[in-house]
Amino acid sequence: MKDRAVFQSRYLPWVLLLPSLLILSIFIYFPAIQAFILSFYKSNLRLGTRRFIGFENFTNLFTGPFSQAYKQIMLQSFLFSLCVVVIGLSISLVLATFASQKIPGARIYRLFLIWPFALSPAVAATIFAFLFNPEVGGVNLFLNELFGIKPRWLDTPWLAFMLVVSAAVWKNLGYNIVFYLAAFQNIPKEYDEAAAIDGAGPLQRFFRITVPMLSSMTFFLVFTNLTFSFFDAFGIIDILTRGGPIGYPPFDNAGVSSIMMYRVFQEGIEQGKSGFAAAFSLFILFIIMIITILQFRYGSRSVQYGDN
Amino acid sequence: MMKRLLAVLTLLALLGLATAQTNIEFWYAFSDEARSGWIQDRISEFNAQLENKDYQVTGERKGSYRETLDASVLAARQGTPPHLVQLFEVGSQLAVDSGIFEPVGEVGGGLDLSDYIEPVINYYTIGGAVNSIPFNSSSPILYINKDLLEKAGLDRNLVPGTYGEILSACETIAASGIEAKCIGFNLHSWFFEQWMAEQGAPLVNNGNGRDERATEVLLTSDAAKNIVSWIKTLNDNGYYTYTGKLEDWDGSDAIFTNQQSVFHITSTADLGNITKATKEAGFELGAGKLPMQDGVERNGVVIGGASVWLTTGHPEAELEIAKDFILFMTNTENMVSWHKLTGYYPVRNSSVDELTAEGWFAEDANYQVAFDQLLETIPNQATGGALMGSFLETRTIIEEAIQKVLNGAEVDATLTEAKRLADAALADYNSNF
Repeated sequence: MKDRAVFQSRYLPWVLLLPSLLILSIFIYFPAIQAFILSFYKSNLRLGTRRFIGFENFTNLFTGPFSQAYKQIMLQSFLFSLCVVVIGLSISLVLATFASQKIPGARIYRLFLIWPFALSPAVAATIFAFLFNPEVGGVNLFLNELFGIKPRWLDTPWLAFMLVVSAAVWKNLGYNIVFYLAAFQNIPKEYDEAAAIDGAGPLQRFFRITVPMLSSMTFFLVFTNLTFSFFDAFGIIDILTRGGPIGYPPFDNAGVSSIMMYRVFQEGIEQGKSGFAAAFSLFILFIIMIITILQFRYGSRSVQYGDN
Repeated sequence: MMKRLLAVLTLLALLGLATAQTNIEFWYAFSDEARSGWIQDRISEFNAQLENKDYQVTGERKGSYRETLDASVLAARQGTPPHLVQLFEVGSQLAVDSGIFEPVGEVGGGLDLSDYIEPVINYYTIGGAVNSIPFNSSSPILYINKDLLEKAGLDRNLVPGTYGEILSACETIAASGIEAKCIGFNLHSWFFEQWMAEQGAPLVNNGNGRDERATEVLLTSDAAKNIVSWIKTLNDNGYYTYTGKLEDWDGSDAIFTNQQSVFHITSTADLGNITKATKEAGFELGAGKLPMQDGVERNGVVIGGASVWLTTGHPEAELEIAKDFILFMTNTENMVSWHKLTGYYPVRNSSVDELTAEGWFAEDANYQVAFDQLLETIPNQATGGALMGSFLETRTIIEEAIQKVLNGAEVDATLTEAKRLADAALADYNSNF
């Protein structure tokens, strides 16, 4: 099969691409180049100052007075992403399996499962913040009534971290479930039926048939969830914990629920250190690039695409 | 045909000229209807009485204090700055350094400041010049749930004034077995700054940053250690509670109004809201001065809140009207209504006199407490408030240090580390110049 389209003029493809390229240039490429240049300057948003300092912003990430905090946050970002992806996808897969069963009212269950995705991260986080206020939140009123305990959700370091992970997982659940439900439609029923006839139990069929057949979707979702946890979890963190609380040593150099993107916001927007924030965001870009390359090189091997 | 078109165009141009009013823009940071509505009402009144109808004041909400400052700076760089900007007190050094403002005291014929409450105007006087007109000013006070005090077996009119008195009340409260914690306040550096001032201790060197640009944050002074040690004692004994989130004003107010803490510390600006909430919750509210270190003279509080700044680069006529507007908005009568609406201090002595004459304080003694605290403040460099460009970062560093101590870290070592970080942030800021 010939996979190249035939255009009447060799310029036509470029003309057709022009609108996209234009938008990408204005909103992506141009700011990216600006950020690259800015990263070599000491620059303050509010003072309007700009002074060339070479690689100092980058070295400050690893050796400056706040480098301990940055290193802790880098580590946390990975832990956070790992938790959000693994926990989020596992729960979504299980829920999507249940939701795809043909039972009365299935459509309503699906609707409720997808619903959290319609919320903005800010709203999702606000709901969590109200529920988990240690003295007056709904969760602790309930726990106190039943067990006489009032966990301190927002300043016990590991609880706060897991709370932010849970909020991010919950927020993204609907998105994952929608995609898994769609993927379920594409699995031919014959495989499942044939295996059932051969005597495979439900668990066996789930792990041997459903999971492998969904691997292309999982591959896609790992990538989108990773991007979400790196960049979009920002709103949840800002409202729920503002990156806090400070942890126990050695996690006592920064808030335990802070991730790299949130710190970039704090440095660049709250503190106005635009040069340093540009350098930090370039560093994040570099990491995301590496992860993406690794994922496509090694991750795609285990993916099965239905028809091939 | 051509002639006709020309005529129409000329007419249109003339019409344009006739109706073109110059807008005097005022950017402010309040997001709630009550306070921004109050400002809009004052703007309408001012415009109605303005003789020169070529001008009119317009007001616009620009988000948080920080966002309002950022918006103004960026607008100024693009050549379209507003005339008046409401800025928070910790942004003062940044505002001066940004170079987009001019001291309001030096516009036109200068200002008559005799009517302004001294500690308030003290904060906004930088390098001898009054930079901005105080607008919404507040300080922290102690809020007391009198009914819970009595339930814990204490005198319902008890007003602890010092750290020691709080601790001994807490001991009784904890022993009484009532469910509420002794004291709650949100983890905010603002309180730490106030407690430094109460002890007469500057927060930064070089005369609290007022003689010269500050280079050091004095976080290892005895005054600083007193404060953090007290919080540690409260926490280690289980007397203290907060939501766990830094700077969570609403969360800690909720703890108090839901009767989960006996004492509460927050801004006088919340007196209106909390008084209302306690009436709904059905308990009697008391108030006291901010409790402080035992055995030290009470120096008073640093005024918190915001003031209105005038941007530079406008024609003299526009600046005059802008200045007139701030003075109108903060005149005696308007400050009285502002105070009644919000609990912010009226910044003028004449407004206080009027409120007293009306019997306002006799009606609600809690408002009197807030006033006494301000009026008894000794004007000095500590209570004048610190100036530093990295104030926002320093606040986070202080809050994280206190949180570390709440997690069990040792006071001295934690403060030493906090000082190292705060000094580094300050040096980084200063190296912009």
